[in-house]
Amino acid sequence: MDGMRRYKSMFLLPGLLTLFIIIIFPLLFTIRVSFSGWNVSNPHMDFIGGANFVRMLADHRFWASILRLILLAGGTVLIEYVLGFALALMVWRNVRGQRVWRVLFLVPMMTTPVVMAAIWQTIFNESLGPVNDLLGRVGLPTVQWLTSTGPATVALMTVEIWQWTPFMFLLLLAGLLSLSKEPFMAAAIDGAGPVRTFFKVTFPLMAPVSVTALIIRLIEASKMSDSVYVLTSGGPGSSTETPGYYLYIRGLKEQQTGYAGSLSLTYLVLMIVTLTIVSRLLVRTLKTRTG
Amino acid sequence: MSRAYLTFKYAFIAVWASFVAGPFVWALTTSFKDANGVQGGATYLPWVDYKPTTRGWQDIFGGEGGVNVIQPFLNSLQITVLASAISLVLGSLAAYGLSRYTYRIGRMKNADIVFFFVSQRIMPPIVLVIPFFFLLQFAGLLDSIPGLVIVTVALLLPIAVWVMVDFFNNIPREIDEMAMLDGCHPFAAFVRTILPNSLPGITVAAMFCAVFGWNDFFFAFRLTFTEVQTLPQAVVALNSSIPPWWTLSAASLFGISPLVLLAVWVERYLSRGNLAGAVR
Amino acid sequence: MTKHRRAKLAAALAVSALAVTACSAGGGGSGASKPDKPAKFAPGSDISYTKYGSNYPSTTVKDVPGPCSYESISKKDYSGRTLRVISHAVPVMGEPTQLHAKQFAELTGAKVDVVNVPFGELYQKILTPLQAGQPAYDVMFYPSLWIGDMAPYLAPVPQKYLDTAQMKDVTKAYMQVATWNGKVVQYPVDGDRHYLKVRSDIIDSPKWQAAYKAATGKTLEVPKTWEEYQQIAQFFSGKDWSGSGKLNYGSAEVTKRDDLMFSAFISRAAAYAKNPNVKTGFFFDVDTMKPEINNPGFVRALTDFVKAKSTWPPGGANFGLGDEIFSFGGGQTLMSYSWDDAFIQAQQPDSKIRNEVEAAQLPGATQVWNRDTNQWDTPASINQVPYFTWGWTSAVAKDSKQQTMAFDFLCFFSNDANTALDLTIGRFGINPYRNAHFDAAFWEKQGWSKQTAETYVKTLSDMEKSPNRVFDLRVPGVNQYMSSLANGVADAISGQKQPQQALDDVAKEWNDITTQVGKDKVQAAYRNVVALENG
Repeated sequence: MDGMRRYKSMFLLPGLLTLFIIIIFPLLFTIRVSFSGWNVSNPHMDFIGGANFVRMLADHRFWASILRLILLAGGTVLIEYVLGFALALMVWRNVRGQRVWRVLFLVPMMTTPVVMAAIWQTIFNESLGPVNDLLGRVGLPTVQWLTSTGPATVALMTVEIWQWTPFMFLLLLAGLLSLSKEPFMAAAIDGAGPVRTFFKVTFPLMAPVSVTALIIRLIEASKMSDSVYVLTSGGPGSSTETPGYYLYIRGLKEQQTGYAGSLSLTYLVLMIVTLTIVSRLLVRTLKTRTG
Repeated sequence: MSRAYLTFKYAFIAVWASFVAGPFVWALTTSFKDANGVQGGATYLPWVDYKPTTRGWQDIFGGEGGVNVIQPFLNSLQITVLASAISLVLGSLAAYGLSRYTYRIGRMKNADIVFFFVSQRIMPPIVLVIPFFFLLQFAGLLDSIPGLVIVTVALLLPIAVWVMVDFFNNIPREIDEMAMLDGCHPFAAFVRTILPNSLPGITVAAMFCAVFGWNDFFFAFRLTFTEVQTLPQAVVALNSSIPPWWTLSAASLFGISPLVLLAVWVERYLSRGNLAGAVR
Repeated sequence: MTKHRRAKLAAALAVSALAVTACSAGGGGSGASKPDKPAKFAPGSDISYTKYGSNYPSTTVKDVPGPCSYESISKKDYSGRTLRVISHAVPVMGEPTQLHAKQFAELTGAKVDVVNVPFGELYQKILTPLQAGQPAYDVMFYPSLWIGDMAPYLAPVPQKYLDTAQMKDVTKAYMQVATWNGKVVQYPVDGDRHYLKVRSDIIDSPKWQAAYKAATGKTLEVPKTWEEYQQIAQFFSGKDWSGSGKLNYGSAEVTKRDDLMFSAFISRAAAYAKNPNVKTGFFFDVDTMKPEINNPGFVRALTDFVKAKSTWPPGGANFGLGDEIFSFGGGQTLMSYSWDDAFIQAQQPDSKIRNEVEAAQLPGATQVWNRDTNQWDTPASINQVPYFTWGWTSAVAKDSKQQTMAFDFLCFFSNDANTALDLTIGRFGINPYRNAHFDAAFWEKQGWSKQTAETYVKTLSDMEKSPNRVFDLRVPGVNQYMSSLANGVADAISGQKQPQQALDDVAKEWNDITTQVGKDKVQAAYRNVVALENG
């Protein structure tokens, strides 16, 4: 086995170094630029101390967007998980048209988010789109999908759920298909009903897959911004702005590279800390439940 | 299973299926409209509600708008395939290493290294894009396919590593040990015995790479000028202040079609049960 | 080796000698260009777009002789050279760019690469490479208000293009828009302004006039003040006055925060806050650079804007320009004010409301804020202030290696034949900017009714005459200022803040932006804007 040791770095290093080289410069650049006043009319790496960070502390839009993200991303991912799990259970076995459903349920995650958001915008268009039209046809009042805070949030979540529930569905279905039959037979011999079997057998067995799926989705959902940009452009007011979108406004639309650098850095640290804590908690809770 | 549950199950499936299909059906019907079919309010049925025209479809293949999706399609294809392939090779090597050996880099252990890979996905794209611009400028690779491939690899590698580590962890070590006792070089053991057993895992990883590579708009948009245009860029170029809904819909449907085929392919693996271990 | 090199040298010399003789023979061509080739068009040929697509209008115009005509351009030989162009998304400005690029390539043999970008992305897409010193584009189409950020990277328009007849015919206001510190750095290709558009069939109908009189005691006519605008819009909201079986509404306005809402707000504020007797700036007091954006004039306009919510169609609080165009152009709303696009859209041959629309100046105000005396002035007549809203413009990059070809492309793009055809295609977004375009007969020839054509031409040409007007904030960092303004206005419309509070916050942010960008830089640039404002 000693022969193997010699090669161990040759497995890891190519990938690790590639990533490191591609990532380290941007990271250092962002740290440095966050201490500069780089903006559109002064595109230089000067040094202005911590002025950007002081400004950030008083930036209500930034902090409000972070709080909003916690609710928005957390809520969306949870709903995706529940729906994805339910769907996976339903087409797991004993279902007609199994393969058709499975393909159909996978398709949304394959589509380009910016492109689909443009389609969704036409769907939620309040006077020309089909949603309000259909509501009107069945005698319901029309809804201000993109111009009042509550419905706009619902519209955003709908788009995210449509796009990413398939991701949960895929991981959970693959997980279900890999379960061995014995625990289920044992439960059947004990005379457990479907509900009891689910909570005592299926759910605990699915814990590891669930943790992975939830964490990956949380990471991706924290970057939510395409759908916001296209659907509401953060409105009404700034009530649907996410950090991803706010960073985009400051950094690219207004070209305040320095200030956006300090925002991004703070955001990155916050996210890494939050996601680490969340994943530890998830692992612990689900593991204890598994016993 | 009780009747009530069965009714509920098929009702649920039907509702979800219409929710999933809805936007596609809407885009399909919109792609055959013109301004008059859009401006008066929502219309659904061609010939009944509006007069269909194929103008939207003509326009995306070099019609009047001057937009042509063919070259962007080929560019996207090249970038996605190359970047996915590189990410899969580097990613599975790294993942195999991480599942079989114990590493220590400073205070970082295996789990931390895996987290380092995955944590790259937490980076908001905006942190990366401006530095990437300068990097590619320095290398003379702005507005080129190789440049975009490099950037895309940075986005895909974490996904490949994440999927493959879990997968290799589930392959019994005895398999590689046996191969090596037979006198195989570790790389040879990896290529001859581990990889063939890992096709399902590679399939999942390849699918994720293809999805995220194909759908990247943010980076491709900002790191190219005129030479290289990818498909999402060509579609977004139609989102003007007067968006031609019909052309936009036609272009969107065209843009997502290749990946729908991918969904069919993935489902085949899924149904055979081959993906089973891939996500544990 | 030496022999080889000498042969190469000789060849090179021969080639350059040829080029030199070609120059002296051909005349007009610049040093590097190839000899002229025979023209593909006879002087004064008929020009039409029909061969490029069946949906283009069948209108035919004559090629007007001059250095930019089809005939002259077709003599140039740019084969083997590439022109890189960036423009807005298709169709607005993007489609004419694509079309004229295709034609230019056919005429000259050049390869023309065009990339189209959505409005929200254009700024960074153009500026990032310019700032990084990466030559990315030779020709750029962009909104003219970015001139303050763009000017350092632009090549001034050479004298020989300034001397062309087509350039000399550009109106004074639009030449001023193209000028930065005394140099013409932008090549005018479009003229824009905000004005009022109304449904003349409804406003002129005796039935509705009687109904309006009965309800409000007032005569129904095209509104002259924002108060009248509000009252009329209110009356016509939620009624099916078009007889389509669906409800109609009073007013369609651009209200989407990160779309072009800041321009709509400036339109509403102009009459309240631009006092003809105060000559020191609309957005700032140019002497101190204190923001005026929260003075009572602007607050009044924002209060109006918030009140107008009740007259908007469903979704009206999130309308981008496209939605506004669909809503007015599609016959859903009675009135609207913004660029020409909705008006031209309503006048397309296949439009349901063709010739049932008319144009007028933006509504005015009976009172206007005077910051010198700190009180409201009541002028003898209504204070009416035209707003020369930014429009599309084009420019050539200073570090472009293809400047001659680039300017030839722009002069071809805007030659008389092309412009005449482009003006009639609503989705192109190219609107009158030369004296020749202010001619009602031209529009009547396109099938417009006399009333529609005359109100349109009169509205546009009257704006040029006003000595009291508003331009955009053409200073470095303009996007930051406007983004901050839009955010404040959106906060007020959504009810998150009171108008005064919202604009106070904007003023605070504007001070910060001025400090960041550099007060001297902004002040110097704003002095030029103030000069424009006072005619």
